[in-house]
Amino acid sequence: MIETVLLWLFAATALVAAVLMLVLRHPMRVALALTATMLSLAGVYALLGVHVIAVFQVLIYVGAVMVFMVYAIMLLDVRDRSFTRRFSRLLLPGIAAALLFLAILAHGLWRALPEPSGAASGTLFALKRFSTEFLNEYWLHFELVSVLLVAAVVAALAVLEVGRRHRG
Amino acid sequence: MSHPLTAIVLLPLAGFLLNGLAGNRLGTRFVSAIGCGLPILAFLVTVKCFLDLQAAGGAPLIDIAYTWAVVGGSSFEVSFYFDALSAVMVLIVTGVGSLIHLYSIGYMRDDASYARYFSYLNLFLFFMLLLVLGRSLLVLFVGWEGVGLASYLLIGFWFEDPDKARAGKKAFITNRIGDAGFLLGMFLLYQALGTLDMDRINAAFMGSAPPAVSASLVGILLFIGASGKSAQIPLHVWLPDAMAGPTPVSALIHAATMVTAGVYLVARMSGIYLHAPEASAIIAAIGALTAFFAATIAVVQTDIKKVLAYSTISQLGFMFVALGVGAYSVAIFHLYTHAFFKACLFLGAGSVIHALGGEQDIRKMGGLARRIPVTFATFAVATAAIAGIPPLAGFFSKDEILWFAFASSRGGSPLLFAVAATTALLTAFYMFRLLWLTFFGRSRMTAETEHHVHESPASMTGVLIVLAILSAIGGFLALPHFLSSLLPLPEVMPALEHYETPLVVVSIALAFAGLAAAAYLFAGDADRAERLHRRFPTLHRVLSGKYYVDEMYDWLIGRPLYWISDRVFLRLGDQKLFDGSLHGLAALGRRTAGGLSRVQNGNLHLYALLVLLGIIASLAWSWRHG
Amino acid sequence: MLIATAAALFALGLLGVIVRRNVLVMLMCMELMLNGVSLSLVTFAQQTATAAGAVLVFLIFVVATAEIAIAIPIVLLLVRRKGVLDLDAYADLKG
Repeated sequence: MIETVLLWLFAATALVAAVLMLVLRHPMRVALALTATMLSLAGVYALLGVHVIAVFQVLIYVGAVMVFMVYAIMLLDVRDRSFTRRFSRLLLPGIAAALLFLAILAHGLWRALPEPSGAASGTLFALKRFSTEFLNEYWLHFELVSVLLVAAVVAALAVLEVGRRHRG
Repeated sequence: MSHPLTAIVLLPLAGFLLNGLAGNRLGTRFVSAIGCGLPILAFLVTVKCFLDLQAAGGAPLIDIAYTWAVVGGSSFEVSFYFDALSAVMVLIVTGVGSLIHLYSIGYMRDDASYARYFSYLNLFLFFMLLLVLGRSLLVLFVGWEGVGLASYLLIGFWFEDPDKARAGKKAFITNRIGDAGFLLGMFLLYQALGTLDMDRINAAFMGSAPPAVSASLVGILLFIGASGKSAQIPLHVWLPDAMAGPTPVSALIHAATMVTAGVYLVARMSGIYLHAPEASAIIAAIGALTAFFAATIAVVQTDIKKVLAYSTISQLGFMFVALGVGAYSVAIFHLYTHAFFKACLFLGAGSVIHALGGEQDIRKMGGLARRIPVTFATFAVATAAIAGIPPLAGFFSKDEILWFAFASSRGGSPLLFAVAATTALLTAFYMFRLLWLTFFGRSRMTAETEHHVHESPASMTGVLIVLAILSAIGGFLALPHFLSSLLPLPEVMPALEHYETPLVVVSIALAFAGLAAAAYLFAGDADRAERLHRRFPTLHRVLSGKYYVDEMYDWLIGRPLYWISDRVFLRLGDQKLFDGSLHGLAALGRRTAGGLSRVQNGNLHLYALLVLLGIIASLAWSWRHG
Repeated sequence: MLIATAAALFALGLLGVIVRRNVLVMLMCMELMLNGVSLSLVTFAQQTATAAGAVLVFLIFVVATAEIAIAIPIVLLLVRRKGVLDLDAYADLKG
């Protein structure tokens, strides 16, 4: 019972924060709104019983991605043209298209999917069980993703032009 | 030899190919040898065939050369047919043709395109022989078209001059108009009889069950073709312009052989015309009209070749008069004598032009009789022949024509005779006028032309002498009698039989009257002719303008056609429709591309929006279809 | 309901990419889209009691990290060249 209320609460928070993201002017505030969304989603995951994902959501997404994002915002001078004029020329077409999109998705959902239950589902997603299953069944994906990370490291180095002699 | 007729036809073709392909490289002597030798050889083979014909008692020689096509149930063969009529024609074509080839050696000696000239002449001979030897109308038509082509090539021989080239085109196009009638006639005949072999067609018409086609209609259609080729009204306009070609060409093609193809056609198809009184009446009427009309124009012409051209038209008219009253063999007789004296006249004119270094205006000649005697003598003999002075060849044939125009039971009438007789008078008049102005009187030549005057070489004068002799004695051959088994003379109206001798006297009188009138007006210093000219200025103008027929054609037909081609087909059709649609397509492509390229404006927002729209579209589509 | 939320989050993220001018904000909206997808995956995984969805979400985390690690330096370089964070200044690939 309380879980359902909390679930709804967290979902609502996520939505509100997302809307705020679109509306706020200062990028730092947008970043904070996004962080709020992510944390709410972590809460949802936890309530659903998928604890391992909830933990990793906070650790990786909020802890690494958003921190990096905040660093970048702090580094740059954000009070420029995009600060005074937030929205692009395609504001109205964009909103119209988004509403249409939502309508179609809603139509599709309403036709096809039953309402989910909000309860936890046993120990499937306990950390130990999850990680064993992950590294047994999905080890190939794991390896491929590690390759991706190597590629990302190389790309970062390339961007920084490490190894090139200082060009004075 | 098993296929003599095929050999006759193919010898000039070989000459064309050899001279055409290799002539320039092999030199003038080779070209002359091949170019003249092969026609002479063809003439000798023809003589042999003629002797064979006589030995066989007149039964025709038939030579099937090649099966051209088998269409449905009928087969079209290229086969050759040699009877008495063909014999006459082929002997004229190869004989006079060979003489003219020999003459050309001297006349064209200094021309740069010597080889091309002889190859075209041989080509012409090949097609003409196809025409007269062909058994079926189809082979004849191939020859018909081919001589038109050769005529075009030879009239426009000096094609660098646009006027000469235009004359060649005019000849070809006018011929083509006549050919439309010819083709229609052929179609009708084939549809009714299932064959185009001329001997079979004649037999069908002469037989007991006449075919289910109007003989008059076919006759008129074939005559339309004949009038195109033989320069009768209204398709006569090309022949005077055809004088732009070299003079031997005028002699060969436009005097002796090609223009007589129409006469040959009608004579050959006598079976049809004997059963087509309306068509025959039309032929006689047009022939008489043309003869008179051309003779009146010839009276005022000042170019030596133009006088002879109109004279040819006029004489052809005479031949058609004879055909129209059923005297087919008489027409062929006149064709035969005409070949001799007209060729002699044209070649003589060529000799005069050669002697004077290119001058063709008779107002600038005179006093040449002593200076180029051989040319003068032969020209005089031929002139007397055409005027009908006995006992030269022209007298016999023209007298026969006048007689049958008056007395034939198939359309002879006093009116026809009157027109023909007047024309005969005019013929004598203008021919002697020509003789006087060219050869007699004080010299009206320019100083440099006077210096140039010299007699022509032996290759030219020799031919002139031969032709003059033939013009003199050719009439004694009694051709109508020779052809009588094939082309019987028409019956004379019994009431008029006793007019025969008086009419002979009348025709002699006409010839001498013309001579006297010409002598009166043009001997001395042509003063009297000038006074006559001044008293009838309008008449003179109309005659000099050739009755303005060319101008009328241009105004009635030429200009509207040109207008349609320019306005409708060029500007509207070609430029607006075709070019416009192509340009329109290109412009459409360009504008579409221009419009579409505005999607790629580099703005990421737009791209994202398009992605969203694409997602919406694919969702909608996939969910709509299940 | 959660699926609806996920759909809404995705739509809002895409809208944000279309609508906002600031490059960094656009990057953050793309993260929002990823989050929406993650939510839907987790919901399905929990409903059907399979681990596949969760594994995929885990991989999404990794990919998002790698992506952001490269994207932000690129944005920094771009800003250094262009001087503004406004996306309209980056329309060099026109036509």
